[in-house]
Amino acid sequence: MKFLKPTLERLSYAILLLIAVLILNFSMLHLAPGDIADTISQSMGGADAETMEQIRRDYGLDQPFIVQLGQYVWKVLHFDLGYSFFYNQPVTTLILAKLPATLLLVITSQVVALVVGVLLGVYSARKPNGLASHFVTLVALFGYAAPVFWTGLLLLIAFSLKIPLFPVAGMIDVTVEGGFFAKAFDIARHMVLPVIALSSIFFALYSRLCRASMMEVLGSDYIRTAKAKGLSESKIVLKHALKNSLSPVVTLAGLQFSAVISGAVLVEAVFSWPGLGTLAFSAIIERDTPTILGILFFSALVVIVGNLLTDLVLRLIDPRIRRKG
Amino acid sequence: MENKHMGTEVEAAAHPLAETARMFIKNKAAVLGLIVLFVIILIAIFGPIFYTTDPEDMVWMAYSPPGEEGFLFGTDYLGRDLLAQMMQGARVSILVGLSAAFMTVFIGITVGALAGFYQGIVEEILMRITEFFQVLPTLLFSMVIVALFGASLPMITIAIGAVSWTAVARITRAEFMRIRSLEYVAAARAIGAKNNRLMFRVILPNALPPIIVQAALMVGSAILFEAGLSFLNLSDPNIISWGRIIGDNRVNILDSSFAVTIPGIAIFITVLAISLVGDGLNDAFNPKLRGR
Amino acid sequence: MEPLLSVKDLKIEFDTRYGRVTALDGASFDIHPGETLGVVGESGCGKSITALAIMGLIPSPPGILAGGSIKYQGEELTTAPEQRLRQLRGGEISMIFQEPMTSLNPVFKVGDQIAETIMLHQGSSKDEAMDKAVELLRVVGIPEPTRRASSYPHELSGGMRQRVMIAIAISCQPQILIADEPTTALDVTVQAQIFELMREIQEEFGVAIMMITHDMGAIAEMADRVAVMYAGKIIEEGKADDILDFPGHPYTKGLIGCIPALGKASASAQTLPPLAEIPGVVPPLHLLGKGCAFADRCNEAHDACKVSPQLKGSPHAVACHAYRGDVA
Repeated sequence: MKFLKPTLERLSYAILLLIAVLILNFSMLHLAPGDIADTISQSMGGADAETMEQIRRDYGLDQPFIVQLGQYVWKVLHFDLGYSFFYNQPVTTLILAKLPATLLLVITSQVVALVVGVLLGVYSARKPNGLASHFVTLVALFGYAAPVFWTGLLLLIAFSLKIPLFPVAGMIDVTVEGGFFAKAFDIARHMVLPVIALSSIFFALYSRLCRASMMEVLGSDYIRTAKAKGLSESKIVLKHALKNSLSPVVTLAGLQFSAVISGAVLVEAVFSWPGLGTLAFSAIIERDTPTILGILFFSALVVIVGNLLTDLVLRLIDPRIRRKG
Repeated sequence: MENKHMGTEVEAAAHPLAETARMFIKNKAAVLGLIVLFVIILIAIFGPIFYTTDPEDMVWMAYSPPGEEGFLFGTDYLGRDLLAQMMQGARVSILVGLSAAFMTVFIGITVGALAGFYQGIVEEILMRITEFFQVLPTLLFSMVIVALFGASLPMITIAIGAVSWTAVARITRAEFMRIRSLEYVAAARAIGAKNNRLMFRVILPNALPPIIVQAALMVGSAILFEAGLSFLNLSDPNIISWGRIIGDNRVNILDSSFAVTIPGIAIFITVLAISLVGDGLNDAFNPKLRGR
Repeated sequence: MEPLLSVKDLKIEFDTRYGRVTALDGASFDIHPGETLGVVGESGCGKSITALAIMGLIPSPPGILAGGSIKYQGEELTTAPEQRLRQLRGGEISMIFQEPMTSLNPVFKVGDQIAETIMLHQGSSKDEAMDKAVELLRVVGIPEPTRRASSYPHELSGGMRQRVMIAIAISCQPQILIADEPTTALDVTVQAQIFELMREIQEEFGVAIMMITHDMGAIAEMADRVAVMYAGKIIEEGKADDILDFPGHPYTKGLIGCIPALGKASASAQTLPPLAEIPGVVPPLHLLGKGCAFADRCNEAHDACKVSPQLKGSPHAVACHAYRGDVA
């Protein structure tokens, strides 16, 4: 019950944010040179002035800005993000078909980055001048400075072209036959390199922060208390210190959702991963504006949902946040 | 005994900037970063003047490996000189990096300063706007901007600046909130300083250290950002940049692995150097935090 | 009587940016079963280091145990394996700290934090340990102990948290309870309650208490015997009554002079100006010379003080060249 009120507040705020994204979307569309009529006529191979006028009337483009905006928001609230003339499908259908692949990539990468990052962070915090600690610093610098698409390309060259361990592109090999496990294994094989590439940016970030917060926590009074109780070193680190040092890491991870999606766009481009990023890329090349804006809306939705979840996890980890709301 | 104690205090009371510089110079990694950065900038400025091969000219067969026929970095998928392209690309990367970072810092400081200084409703609105921009996936958003409004270099700069100012705004606001409650601000207010003066002459100079560090890091992420956009072929097709070289040459990646690797290394080294300098500045500004 | 804990010539050094400094220089004292030893001195004089050394918790690096011995019931602790020390910590020797606000882990319920120690040292099941934890909360005077057991530390006041700390410390019936400034961070009224609680616990469990404080008032209230420390050395030691009534070291006199009206000591305190203060501060450890560390602040200092004085006399021992034996 303690969760309910702050959660409701956050939820209504999240909805406001989403509506703001819609307004931004629509304004950009409005400001951009050219309109839907141009797009349609392009995809039809040109149209005369009269047809253009007809299309503009059909789409309500002769209405005032605010009316059009209202109609747009109203339609989106009914899950109608418009129609893609390039793919000949409703944008919502199109996006929902691609969303799972992106979510799979993004979530797996984040989980891998968090788990490896925290493990390495904890390990190196206990020996601040040890080998692991220097390794974390080094990897952190690499993760920060190497462009993610380049990391992906290097992995691709090394581990699927030079040494053919993993598939070059895509998510599923249609020739693979068999049951659920065979298919799952096939997807997992396709995922290895993209996940390594995408998590490389973040796991360094997490391990560095985890090391710093772990070192701070290990110096705190309640750790001294735990030692005075006679607890073993491993119990102190894994029980008393870890739970405390996780909150900053989780907070940071929550702030990375938008960066993860940005990274996913590039990684998808490198590995031809059939997700939202690849869709966005081809939509931009084809000037398929409704699809582009639909993707922006959906990815903002993913970030907002991600933030809500992060908040929930933080409340579970740290009882002090529950009261502050 | 007494004198010795006094001595250390006098030393510590030297000019704060001199102290910062001294701390910075002691940091070997940061100095190395600064030197590397300096060399890259020199190459970007003078390279194309002395190495006159036109980066757009097809000078030899495609995918000639580095070193052959006198081409230090080899040739690209159209048989153009990769070295000439790299030097041209350095100009673009650094130009976009600097100008996008400048824009980022400008927007960030303005928003953060207003929010942190006025607080109340102004702060509420500005911080909500900041949060709103944090929700938009930066790369996708700038892809949309570039797609809708064209892919010229200024537009790319604006697209990068428009999506990455939030971090600077947050830091600026936090610093302003901390500093505005200090005595010397109250003192300046008491002798009749106007709000503008308080904000930009009294508070801002003292808030600068963390902003400068963030600004340095912003140059790095702007370079990465530009590389990402041009890797996706979303930048101006007439402009050679490091990201674009990677994007163009990946078509036949096995033949051209060097043409993909070399620009990547260049981006990596540049951004790494910037981040080392940023870390060094951070440590130099906060000597107490060292060793963390 | 055989002492419970016997510390001999304990010497602890620290590596600092000024080089290696001696934080504790040859401290010796005994603690007997059931008694309360007060260790008093200003901050930085080595009190807390002594306590941590007994617990085997000197942070190392930078701390180094440079010499001396700590014997618990005849068993040498300075060379004991970590395994054995862990058994003793929280089981036989337990400790409560100065900062009740930060000494409990913020993310675990207080009941669990008490039960953890019980499960560790007595091998109880989770349920048994929780029942005992609730019982302990009752013993230390926390109202509604069953409900409070599932509170988090931030939901309790400072005094309550210190009571929880005491509950943890006594949960396994230790022989020695080290209390490092247990009331410094608390309100005066709460301080009195905590002292009262500690006395009750001492009567009930017969635990020996090593009470570290900078407050002579607390000593007057709690201690049977006193060791006064200054700059890493014990400079005066003896029965609490003796020292409060007839302080031998100028520093001790100063400390007593800092207390407004000190019950038993009022007779001699009248001869001192009311609320005297000791001029100056404790010198930084790296600037200690060969002479008496207190000489700079002492109004009785003379030429002999250029050589560090030895602790002399029994049972009332004083380390001061100006001291001429008990007046009594």
